[in-house]
Amino acid sequence: MLSRIAESLFWLSRYIERAEYTARILDVNFHTLLEQSRDRYRLRWEPLIVMAGEEERFRRIYDEANAPAVFEFLAFSQDNPSSIMQCIAKARENARTIRDCISREMWEDLNGLYFTVNRFNPAEEMEAGPHRFCDAIRFGSHRFHGVTDATLPHDEGWEFLRVGWFIERAEMTARLVDVQYHALYDAPAEIGGSDNHQWMAVLKSVGAYEAYHKKYHSSIDPEKVAEMLIMHPLHPRSIRFSMTEVQSGLRAISGTGSGSYANEAERLTGKVLERLRYDRIHEIFNLGLHSYLNDMLRMCGSIGEDIARSYFYYAVVA
Amino acid sequence: MSAVPSKMPLQGLFGEYAAGPFYDEMFAAPDEPRPHYAKIFQKLARMMPSQFEERRKHADLSFLLQGITFTVYSDGRGTERLFPFDLIPRIIPSSEWQRIDRGLAQRVVALNLFLQDVYGKQRIFADRQIPRALVYSCKHFMREVIGIEVPRGIHTHICGIDLVRDSKTGEFCVLEDNVRTPSGISYVLENRAVMMRTFPDAFQAYEVLPVNHYPAELARILRSISPRGGDDAQIVLLTPGIYNSAYFEHSFLAQQMGIELVEGRDLIVDGGIVYMKTIHGLTRVDVIYRRVDDEFLDSLTFRRDSVLGVPGLMGAYRAGNVALANAVGNGVADDKAIYAYVPTFIRYYLGEDPILRSVDTYLCSKRDDLAYVLEHLSELVVKAVGESGGYGMLMGPTADRARIEEFDRQIRADPRNYIAQPVVPLSRVPSYDPALECIAGRHVDLRPYCLYDGENVTIVPGGLTRVALQADSLVVNSSQGGGSKDTWILRGED
Repeated sequence: MLSRIAESLFWLSRYIERAEYTARILDVNFHTLLEQSRDRYRLRWEPLIVMAGEEERFRRIYDEANAPAVFEFLAFSQDNPSSIMQCIAKARENARTIRDCISREMWEDLNGLYFTVNRFNPAEEMEAGPHRFCDAIRFGSHRFHGVTDATLPHDEGWEFLRVGWFIERAEMTARLVDVQYHALYDAPAEIGGSDNHQWMAVLKSVGAYEAYHKKYHSSIDPEKVAEMLIMHPLHPRSIRFSMTEVQSGLRAISGTGSGSYANEAERLTGKVLERLRYDRIHEIFNLGLHSYLNDMLRMCGSIGEDIARSYFYYAVVA
Repeated sequence: MSAVPSKMPLQGLFGEYAAGPFYDEMFAAPDEPRPHYAKIFQKLARMMPSQFEERRKHADLSFLLQGITFTVYSDGRGTERLFPFDLIPRIIPSSEWQRIDRGLAQRVVALNLFLQDVYGKQRIFADRQIPRALVYSCKHFMREVIGIEVPRGIHTHICGIDLVRDSKTGEFCVLEDNVRTPSGISYVLENRAVMMRTFPDAFQAYEVLPVNHYPAELARILRSISPRGGDDAQIVLLTPGIYNSAYFEHSFLAQQMGIELVEGRDLIVDGGIVYMKTIHGLTRVDVIYRRVDDEFLDSLTFRRDSVLGVPGLMGAYRAGNVALANAVGNGVADDKAIYAYVPTFIRYYLGEDPILRSVDTYLCSKRDDLAYVLEHLSELVVKAVGESGGYGMLMGPTADRARIEEFDRQIRADPRNYIAQPVVPLSRVPSYDPALECIAGRHVDLRPYCLYDGENVTIVPGGLTRVALQADSLVVNSSQGGGSKDTWILRGED
């Protein structure tokens, strides 16, 4: 497989996942807000911009992080390179450069999603609320993964899609947990700490609300929410689950068996998984959740870089 | 088979139809469809405009979803547009096609022999059939490839030869040869696929010859020129990238043939061998179906500013380590001044009379021709010899005085750069006009695609029918508002 194609596949699924994650968070936050008092406005919306890593850009354009501003910025903005529209456009651009390597169904599905998304009128959607738009993205992403799974041979190309997809998911979940805890858990009790609704929103945004109740049979406890999102072995949005997928993808590409590694990306993935398997949530809280998650994000960054070094880039030969 | 009455009233979508002073491919007389068109005419005449419109929208959506678009740069940003598809098929009777098929095969073989000769022994100059100076002064003549022996002697693996039916005689003649990187075959295949989905009932009334063997035949030829031989040749299609207007076709063909679609940056030349960069290291490449023009292929040999090609590629080619299709330097054979000599090539190399007529051509480099052209500018079509795609052209009869004077000056300044031809009144085929919501006659041409394996020429039955969708326009280029039609060659008797 050509390096350029592997790279495009990797980014194609990263962008789709980023769009879906952003849509989920937008949607759930918006609806939680409908049942909230006005004081919590800032508290709810600002973390979303922090999560996207785009605070500076956001401040340059908007005065206040309120619902319409955040919605526009995260969903439609041309100035935000991670906005949902931009992600879908970039995913399609990547698919276009490799359309001979993906199935016709995948291309037509993604192309259709692109046209659907572009038909939305930002002004109208902001009036109606984000649900309709976010739903289209969520289902679009699910459908694309379904079509991919059902029509693309599960060979190296498929593995690069999987690795890109889950490394993005691991990072997004880590950021979600980090930002929400910073905003809620560390905040004075009267605004954040004890408010179950907001923790419910976090769970719902990753589609883990029902799974939480099934597992813990208890009311919403912030520590348990974190445990679920970070280390649940089987929930498809936990960091641990995502990193397990990354690991199997990388091993399938290099042909390495368990217990060893073929490159730095595999070594770091193994190391991250080791921690996710054997740490306990109260240990993590004792050490500091923020620094733990930051560490994890840094390692994910290094894994991405080493995947590029191992598979995508060639040193210039004179 | 039910008898079809020869006279049928024009109604429904045909309500406003007028054949006009041109050869009409559907109608022999105003209300008399030609026999091979009778059944489709009846079907269309019975359709409500709204039914037709619904099928048309369905077809358009299908092209849009598949991303079968081309890029237009007029607004500076490059927007994707649909290549308009007209749902009314163009039908060519089998007996007529057989003659075209023979004529094209003859032409392709002669063009290939000419290329072998001018880049080889150059017998044709010694035998004084064509002036050496004319050939050497062609914009796309490449001194760099003189003496290179191409695999199996094939230069013209893929040719697209533009034909038009002259309304005066009703006969097909050759308007232009394209032997560099002709494009459009993907539209032939996709038009057919969409047509079969949109108008399945029309196919039931006819036996239409299939076209979808093209990719397999091309792949067979590409495999056969691999310098290392064997069936496991590594073949790639080299594209300039997604911003090229024919990118859809490049990815389509690569996928259909199951070969890798590469850009220049995916390839590297080391020790005279071409490799592609894969996730598991370098893999040797044997055959490159290149859709990048000669001058961009290798920045070490040709244009130094090119980033589309592969530095060192020509070295590998010259050493015989990699095969290119089409060969480098083919542009000399489709130069518009050389066009006038193709009948000479056919007689000289094959000892045969040309089966297909060429359009009379005046070479402004000849003194008598130049005088005639300057006298008759308002009646002629003038073309700059090295250009294609409808650029650098004067349509005498419709041009204003200023434009004619501009060409007068340009021709006098550089006569070698211009040829002139009489205006060919192109035949018309009924086509749907969405603005008028009815069917009207529109001018068409035909580009069949010829594949040459060194022994036989394979031509996919039919080819790309381009149609000038503007009323009265003779310009069929997609960049000038042209569209296309599915082209049917019928099996057996007409």
